[in-house]
Amino acid sequence: MASAIADTSFLIDWIRYSKSRLIFRLFEVIYIPESVLTEIRSERSLTWIAEGLEEGGLAIFPELPDISREALNLVARSRRLPIRPVDYPEAFCLVAGRRLDLTVLTENGGAIALASYDPEYSNVKILRGIDILYLLWRSGLINSFKDELEIYQQETKHIYSRRDLDRYREHLK
Amino acid sequence: MSEKILKEWIERFKEAREIRRRYANWDFIRSQPPKIRIALEYYIETGDFRTAAKMSNMSVDEFIEIAKESANIPTVD
Amino acid sequence: MEHISKLSETSLTIREWIEYFREAREIRRRYANWDFIRSQPPKIRIALEYYIETGDLYNAAKLAGMSMEEFNELRIKAGIPSIG
Repeated sequence: MASAIADTSFLIDWIRYSKSRLIFRLFEVIYIPESVLTEIRSERSLTWIAEGLEEGGLAIFPELPDISREALNLVARSRRLPIRPVDYPEAFCLVAGRRLDLTVLTENGGAIALASYDPEYSNVKILRGIDILYLLWRSGLINSFKDELEIYQQETKHIYSRRDLDRYREHLK
Repeated sequence: MSEKILKEWIERFKEAREIRRRYANWDFIRSQPPKIRIALEYYIETGDFRTAAKMSNMSVDEFIEIAKESANIPTVD
Repeated sequence: MEHISKLSETSLTIREWIEYFREAREIRRRYANWDFIRSQPPKIRIALEYYIETGDLYNAAKLAGMSMEEFNELRIKAGIPSIG
């Protein structure tokens, strides 16, 4: 099983989902960078993280100077284009994802855009909540991808745009 | 970066902003003290929750909680 | 607690380690000052509860947003013994 690294944008949505713990069935371990952890203060999120750490599904990814340096570079490079730039915690996840072959869990459009235009990051596997739901459905862990996506959007108040849904058009009829 | 890809991403971010604007509870937003109101408006326009959270002196997840629950602003991208 | 320190002198089976950690958790729970813990803001409270359950100072400190040393001071304030 692969391991993953999650950024703030992913966690603040995913943790609100009633079946959020199913994600631990898809990955060996999900890393949370320290820079992401410092952004989280709510009781619900911290409890979820503490329980994940306790059960071994989560682990904290320390600030490593090498990865940190490259992440800062990425932050600067992403600001050259007139689209959403990548902030440090997302950049850190992308770099760690590339260096250590981790699946990056993010909802940040800037990070996803970067992977689509920067050849250095084109091989990084990036998954959003909708992609995780699809994998859960393919693994038989949820019954209906369409119904569960509806539930997910209601519970998390994350709306997927027409473009995002288009990718799964076939399964959402 | 190819112009085609760039155009596509610009469109995506525009669409995300439209969604945030459309769902937002503007009555609630207008009733907030300036710091929070400006942070929420900034967030609607840019999707940049980090800066918005700093503007309102909150942690990221605390800010998002208010944005979603009280101001009805969904996360989109 | 004497028998717990004696355990470190011998090599343990997995079962013995599980029992050791379970006992350590029970001790932390029993000695903890729960009034103090409940009075803390969520981030600190959850970190202290996590520490009680796991004895994992490193991650507890990260949850609390503190250095290990600072968190160690805090767990002492909270009456939680460090075992082993």
